[in-house]
Amino acid sequence: MVERTKRRRRVLLPQRLGQLGGVIVGSMILVAILAPWLSPYDPAERVGRPFSSPSAEHLLGTNDVGQDLLSELIYGTRVSLTVGIIAAAVALLIGTSIGILAGYYPKRLGAFLMRGVDVVLILPFLPLLIVLAAYLGRSLTNTILVIGVLIWAAPARIIRSQVISLRSREYVMASQSMGAPDRWVILRHILPRTALLATGSFVRAVSGAILLEAALSFLGLGDPIQKSWGSILFWAQSRGAFLTPAWKWWVLPPGLAIMLASLGFALIAFAVEERINPKL
Amino acid sequence: MKRLNKQKLMQYAIVLFVAVTLNFMLPRVMPGNPLALIAGVDVGLLTPEQRAQIIEDVGLNRPILVQYVDYWRSIVTGDFGISYRSDRPIVDLISERLPWTLLITGGALLFSATVGIVTGAWSAWRRGKKSDLSMLTGMIALQSLPSFWLGMLLISIFSVQLGVLPSFGAVAPAADFTGGAYFVDVIKHAALPMLTLSVLSVPGVYLTMRYSMLEVLGEDFIRTARAKGASEMRVLFGHVARNAIAPVVTFLAIRFAFSFGGSVIIETVFSYPGLGRLVFDAVSGRDYPVMQAAFLVFTAAVLLANLVADLLYPILDPRTRSH
Repeated sequence: MVERTKRRRRVLLPQRLGQLGGVIVGSMILVAILAPWLSPYDPAERVGRPFSSPSAEHLLGTNDVGQDLLSELIYGTRVSLTVGIIAAAVALLIGTSIGILAGYYPKRLGAFLMRGVDVVLILPFLPLLIVLAAYLGRSLTNTILVIGVLIWAAPARIIRSQVISLRSREYVMASQSMGAPDRWVILRHILPRTALLATGSFVRAVSGAILLEAALSFLGLGDPIQKSWGSILFWAQSRGAFLTPAWKWWVLPPGLAIMLASLGFALIAFAVEERINPKL
Repeated sequence: MKRLNKQKLMQYAIVLFVAVTLNFMLPRVMPGNPLALIAGVDVGLLTPEQRAQIIEDVGLNRPILVQYVDYWRSIVTGDFGISYRSDRPIVDLISERLPWTLLITGGALLFSATVGIVTGAWSAWRRGKKSDLSMLTGMIALQSLPSFWLGMLLISIFSVQLGVLPSFGAVAPAADFTGGAYFVDVIKHAALPMLTLSVLSVPGVYLTMRYSMLEVLGEDFIRTARAKGASEMRVLFGHVARNAIAPVVTFLAIRFAFSFGGSVIIETVFSYPGLGRLVFDAVSGRDYPVMQAAFLVFTAAVLLANLVADLLYPILDPRTRSH
């Protein structure tokens, strides 16, 4: 009886958490789309006295040049989600291609590709991200590219091991022995069966990319025009907002937003991964 | 010591090669004036003589292959050049910063290892119970915490609201403490950065430990231990945790190197005078040679950490020892 309730909990937990993640991500996407209607001001306009405390006109006060912090927060959703999702898509594209090639041709090409994967996994990640971003310059495209080309290795490894096991299945061998070209076997039999795994990797990558974007922007390496949540915190940090009562409306909300967004995707990833390979 | 896996050593050599080559290539292929990108100077402000001098120093007037060989030679001999911005040898800059970063990352490692291992073991022992699942959920949530934000909040709470811990630096300025007082001062300054780094590492340690414990719990010798009447505590610590620890140590070694990289963010928040802050200052001041040298130090740290993990694993997990 006790064992059964424990098992029930273990089965239900990932589902519940996954649903919670879905709700968080869904509402954030809504906020991003509806940003122009939701935000009270244009986030780039100077609409109030600098360093104002929260008031009826400015619910979260204003920053050091008098921009409305609530509007910045709402518009920041767009930047953070866009960077997270596109960077993860770039990573997934690279990761899936390399994973499938390495798994389908495991001998020479596979060994060579996996060497590359290992190198990328060992290289000190954050410093490399910073070096690349510093040389490339501050723009949204560069942030996306830099993050995307650094986080593909983990998905590549996961997908490769799946492909290796698929490769020895009977229907794949049957298809090969009837003379189907590799391209056909990969597109018809291999790729569709990596879809669930790839979805998990993608959602996990979005969760990570959102945190990385925030870190880069916090270090002043984000796009100077389109402010993300990380950039709001960069300015809060350089103006010393966390040393004044302003931390409650200038520092707290963007950080919570970053955490929620990243967590939302992480919960979905957790539910998907549990489904593929239960670890609870 | 057991001979190291040849393939792994080869792999580390490749990583080093890639890191050095990236360092060499990036400023030379990126858009912009390579002189500015390599030397980190405002080219427009230089006199023609200074300019010629720097071009000669970094060897931009020589063929690219010769430059590459020279670059390797200088790195192997430990010569990272000078920072034109601060006019000091980069080796000095790095060596005076390194101990501070080692202090906070080392402290954070010990702390997060203890907390992560104990909570992970406890959670796995209570698998499927409410306490296990809520702890697991909490740890997943912690993984989404932005480190710099946590640091800023800790400063707001402990330094500003409560006023119990300093918010920046590694020692009190102009206080000239000696002996015990100096030690206390250093610990007080390191406390918040250390705590921030620890909170970041705990979930990973916890998850690794919990999963590794669950694997061991399913094995036959655990049933044997129980059957021969060993107490629950003895089974938990003497048999399960003992055999589950190897993957955690590997994780910790790699995590240590990772926190080293993460120091760039943490030390920026706390204005802590370590290697990470040096990188931040170099990036915002466009002092590229310093940034590049620090990148190599981070790479070396990662490789060392991996080597340590490789050496420790067979000691901790006798099953992998070859006879």
